[in-house]
Amino acid sequence: MIKVRIPTPLRPMTGGKGEIEITGNSVGDMIEQLNTSHPGLKDRLCDEHGEVRRFINIYVNEEDIRFLTGKDTPLKEGDEVSIIPAIAGGA
Amino acid sequence: MLLLPSAILHNMIEHARLLDPHECCGILAGVNREVRKQYRITNILASLTTTELARFDQAKLSDLKQLSPEERADIAFQMDAQEMALAQKDIRTQSLQLQAFYHSHTASPARPSTTDITIAMEFESYREKLNLPEPLHVIISLMEKDTPIVRAYQIRNSTATEVEITRS
Ligand SMILES: [Zn+2]
Repeated sequence: MIKVRIPTPLRPMTGGKGEIEITGNSVGDMIEQLNTSHPGLKDRLCDEHGEVRRFINIYVNEEDIRFLTGKDTPLKEGDEVSIIPAIAGGA
Repeated sequence: MLLLPSAILHNMIEHARLLDPHECCGILAGVNREVRKQYRITNILASLTTTELARFDQAKLSDLKQLSPEERADIAFQMDAQEMALAQKDIRTQSLQLQAFYHSHTASPARPSTTDITIAMEFESYREKLNLPEPLHVIISLMEKDTPIVRAYQIRNSTATEVEITRS
């Protein structure tokens, strides 16, 4: 199984769950699977071209997928994926 | 204590003035609370549409949806995730560590707002899993345009404690 960490702002879509376990061969697969179990989640993570949105980082273990092979980044048993909003603040 | 080279301090103030009335944001890297490198990061709020914003954070949207993107960037910031990732990669390559996040307050004092504290605590919940050191939060206030004030804070358990900045 692969563990996916869901950030607080997206937990309303996962019934409050902060961690979801999936099986899948790539980050792209993972996004599709998450979207099947939690419809609408893909739209929160990716823009209309399917690219990861400008305010989201997806890490496989400790590396940002932008420096791996993006959504083609392979996943294997035991990997941990973290979906993290880029740092923000308000006045 | 945070050791901050004068050149970087001036560059941060210049960054804040350049973007005023929008908020600026960035990252400071170094070793053991000694800053050696600064990364200016784009505040993408000015270019995010309300729909885009809604896709991520309903809580944030409720505060900001009344405003135009331009107005939104005056009272808040959202770092560009790609630039943030690039900076983190460069920090690792240079054997430095994250020391602080900085942003400006263009019309309010140099202390973290409630939103700043909430978001800092949210970041805390991921930080250890990503193997990042605990960052300080530096705020540049342009409330008095001629005398900018720069202060650093440690945010723990939803409480901000000031950390002295020493210029080097
Ligand atoms: Zn702030």
